[in-house]
Amino acid sequence: MCLVKGLFLAYPLQSLSFQTLFDAVADAMLLISDAGKVTEANAAALSLLGYTAQEIIGLPVEALIPQRYQAQHIKHRIKFAQNPEKRPMGSGNELSVLTKQGKELEVDIGLSPISHQEKPYTLITFYTVAKRKSVEQALRISEESLRLAKKAAGLVAFDFDADLKMRDANEQLLAYWGAEPDHTEKNNSTVLPMIHPDDSAIRASAIRHATDPLGNGELKVEYRIINQATGDLRWISAIGRAHFRDGRATRLLGVVRDITEQKVIEKKLQDQHAETETLFAKEVATQTASAIAHEINQPLTAISAYSEVALHALKQKVIDSASLKRALEGCVAQAQRAGSSLHELLSFLHKGEMTREQLDINSVVKEAFLVAKSYGYSDFHPVLQLENNIRPVLGNKTQVLKILVNLLRNAVEAMREAEIASSEISVTVRTNANINMAHVTVQDVGPGLNHEVAKHIFEPFFTTKPKGIGMGLAISRTLAEANGGQLWLDPDVKVGATFHFTLPFSP
Amino acid sequence: MKTTTPTVYIVDDEHAIRDSLALMIAQENIPVMAFESAQAFLEACPQECSGCAIIDYRMPEMDGLELQAELAKRDITIPIIFLTGHGNIPTSVKAMKAGAIDFLTKPVRREKLISVVVAAMMESEKTLAENASYKEAVRCIASLTEREYDVMLLAIQGHHNKDIARQLGISHRTVEIHKSNIMHKTGASHVLDLARIAHKSGLKE
Repeated sequence: MCLVKGLFLAYPLQSLSFQTLFDAVADAMLLISDAGKVTEANAAALSLLGYTAQEIIGLPVEALIPQRYQAQHIKHRIKFAQNPEKRPMGSGNELSVLTKQGKELEVDIGLSPISHQEKPYTLITFYTVAKRKSVEQALRISEESLRLAKKAAGLVAFDFDADLKMRDANEQLLAYWGAEPDHTEKNNSTVLPMIHPDDSAIRASAIRHATDPLGNGELKVEYRIINQATGDLRWISAIGRAHFRDGRATRLLGVVRDITEQKVIEKKLQDQHAETETLFAKEVATQTASAIAHEINQPLTAISAYSEVALHALKQKVIDSASLKRALEGCVAQAQRAGSSLHELLSFLHKGEMTREQLDINSVVKEAFLVAKSYGYSDFHPVLQLENNIRPVLGNKTQVLKILVNLLRNAVEAMREAEIASSEISVTVRTNANINMAHVTVQDVGPGLNHEVAKHIFEPFFTTKPKGIGMGLAISRTLAEANGGQLWLDPDVKVGATFHFTLPFSP
Repeated sequence: MKTTTPTVYIVDDEHAIRDSLALMIAQENIPVMAFESAQAFLEACPQECSGCAIIDYRMPEMDGLELQAELAKRDITIPIIFLTGHGNIPTSVKAMKAGAIDFLTKPVRREKLISVVVAAMMESEKTLAENASYKEAVRCIASLTEREYDVMLLAIQGHHNKDIARQLGISHRTVEIHKSNIMHKTGASHVLDLARIAHKSGLKE
């Protein structure tokens, strides 16, 4: 210790001890001997590096450097000893020191060669204060650019603690939701009333899933919020990640984004898609009906004309039996022709569609929900009751899907028409032991069907929808029957409409 | 002038429809002929045909509207009755504008068909008579020499022989000879009659 003291003896402030001055410096300082050992350390250095004075004196300086830099450092140190001059170390590169606890700290370092009693020493200064300032500056810049980026992307960050309490009062987030900005207690229950009642279950389930220690911690959910101040309805997308400690979620961080515009466009596209589908279906129906009409009308025309020829022949004073015979033969032949045309047409329409395979009816039901969703019929809560390990059925997958999608679509449209808030469709799959068939039930909570409508519901071109063509249920029933099953409307259920269909099990 | 017997021509690709309608029309003692396609009808029908044609609107290859256009192109002016299974308005209007006399939807009642056929045949007769006198007038006027034509033009405008002679720079006697020839060639008995024939041939005063 007395080595360095000597440096200050020539100065006027002799009474001020060297150690006092040395320790008063805010930056950490180490004095290193030419052998590369620590000979002095000030208080700041001890605090920074986590050593006591007794522990650090005599340590090789490489002990304070992370292992991966040690070999390199020895070379640098020898080079510096040959050409000592005052300079910052590392010149621009990040340097790290290793604390006694094994933690690496990033520091800027200055080296000053000192000669005492003809022995060279090196004074190392750790500019921790300057470093902290530059780090703080960098953090401020980074935070500012993040803030700008979030603003540009329309993102608002959220940060909940383990109890779903907002960690910092995010006025922006609350304003976004239309909450009073001066709420004192900012927690999950503050925002709950703003979430659309139909979506609160979805959001809660997503948060539960994200904060489940067994899950992957990811949060991804879309829901509607109702601005409490204006009553506006907005769509929100929340993406986030839960942080866990000791098998428990401690924090839920993420961003929310307003996706209302996007939802409006999506809805528009879905509507257009549905409209095109309807137009196409109408065109197909028109073409088919026109073909059938032609096939029937031609023989009818001939039959009508032949019949009038026959009547005329009978009315003559002397019955024109030659004309009468020819006309009646014509009638019979044309009536027969009309019949066989119809049979041909029907067998043509059914041709090539009937490849039946073994199907897991449960997965077809799940797929039907996806298909319905892709058509824009997803605004309902599906309630599935699927019999586990039900035997495979035998059917044409496309046709069975078509039956299910038709039923889901009808249910959604009925509930939309009736403006039912929490619409729900339950689909039950079970084995009907009485008939030994798979039995599927599709039930909605819509207004149901009155007696008069129910009577005609399966007739072609019967519809209660302004834009419908009334072929959906007629086709569905035909498809169910073509697959060896049946489709019917439950006459007894009082709430909503309930349809049943059956399919044979694979032998 | 040569004319054919007024006949009902049926053009339909359906045998049973041709057969039953032909029977029906034959029961009214109206001559009837049936063809299975537009081409067959075009090949068989004489230029001077009269009566009417019952044409199926929807036929393979040449359809009813195309046949109507082809008849007009060939200057065959027979009235057309269209038969259709699906009488949609825009095509009916198009056919009517092109001169169809009626549009019947299948199946068609006997009463309706016969009344339309009779009306069409009367229309045909009228058109044919008009056509014949027009053609005759054109033939008469065309038979005149250039000088006779000039004399005729002035004569039907009411000029006296003296005026005509002065205007054309010929003698009064020559005008008289020309006029005599004109009256002989056209068969006109007096100048007013000549004016009527000239007008019928399409000449405008």
